[in-house]
Amino acid sequence: MAALKRVQQWATFARVWHIFDASWQNPFESAQVLKKYLMGLYKPIYHPMNECGDHVIVINSADIALPGDEWVKRVYFHHTGYPGGASWTLAWDLHKKDPTLVLKKAVYNSMDGNLQRRYTMERLHIFPDSKVPGALMKNVSNQIRQIRPMPKRLDEYTEKEVKEFPKIIDLPKDYILR
Amino acid sequence: MNTLLKFNWQGLIKAAFPLRTLSLFPKLQLKEIQEVQEGKSLIIKGVNVPSGREPFLLETENELCPICSSGLEVKHTDVLIISQFVRSDGCMLPRRVTGLCRRQQKRMSILVAMAQKAGLMPNLTPATSKKDPKKRFGWKRYNKYFDESTIKIR
Repeated sequence: MAALKRVQQWATFARVWHIFDASWQNPFESAQVLKKYLMGLYKPIYHPMNECGDHVIVINSADIALPGDEWVKRVYFHHTGYPGGASWTLAWDLHKKDPTLVLKKAVYNSMDGNLQRRYTMERLHIFPDSKVPGALMKNVSNQIRQIRPMPKRLDEYTEKEVKEFPKIIDLPKDYILR
Repeated sequence: MNTLLKFNWQGLIKAAFPLRTLSLFPKLQLKEIQEVQEGKSLIIKGVNVPSGREPFLLETENELCPICSSGLEVKHTDVLIISQFVRSDGCMLPRRVTGLCRRQQKRMSILVAMAQKAGLMPNLTPATSKKDPKKRFGWKRYNKYFDESTIKIR
């Protein structure tokens, strides 16, 4: 095998490590993106019987955002198996207990329930903050683009930026500043 | 009989000619209330100040309200625009002050509520507020965003 072909072979079957910043991202929208990388769906060599998925490191999973009041509308069900063993946990309650779990379940539920799913999930590394072990971080060679832009808070702008931003209305002359 | 004849002349005069304050200076100017402590005495004075917005004001070409004429589609994350319609304690300014049309005033008040719920204007809050959105109660401390297409205005 020629040297070029050999390198091409390595490059094709090597596992790529991606990193994704989940701050201000909807976990259910990001799950649809992350699953493509985890299962290798974007690769031309993809086949269900061909295990070609990549590793994905997700950081800042504690800062995920849900639309509207979905933190109190989304409910996670669990049953212990015993009579009366059902329990319903609100999304914000689950997020308080473990800030990685909402995203993990979102990715897990976005994939079909087959024998590969558990092994695919092992390639997903979720961290609640931006601290990633160096052994994992040194593998990373790609960053996955965020789905929605991160909003900037008003107190993060400088005073000059706020003052010199184009103004739509002026205060009337008889207005008392408060 | 004597008591009946006693007529309240002073009350009649006051009702007929209500007390009007006369001022030689233009009263209508942008004012800021300042409290100055000098020794034991507290001085509260209204000081005329420029609004500081004149050099950065958008020019309107038609007679529509400022937002309608600008053609902007304001989102709840555009805090630099939304904060122009809010007092320093986070209250929405009334329509007689903002000069917006009925629809845009309603829409802007909803956008203000969205931005505040999302914790994007933590410095424009009442004095009793904890300021930091992460210190809010229960589920309100977690990040949330809103969809502007859910705003229903007739």
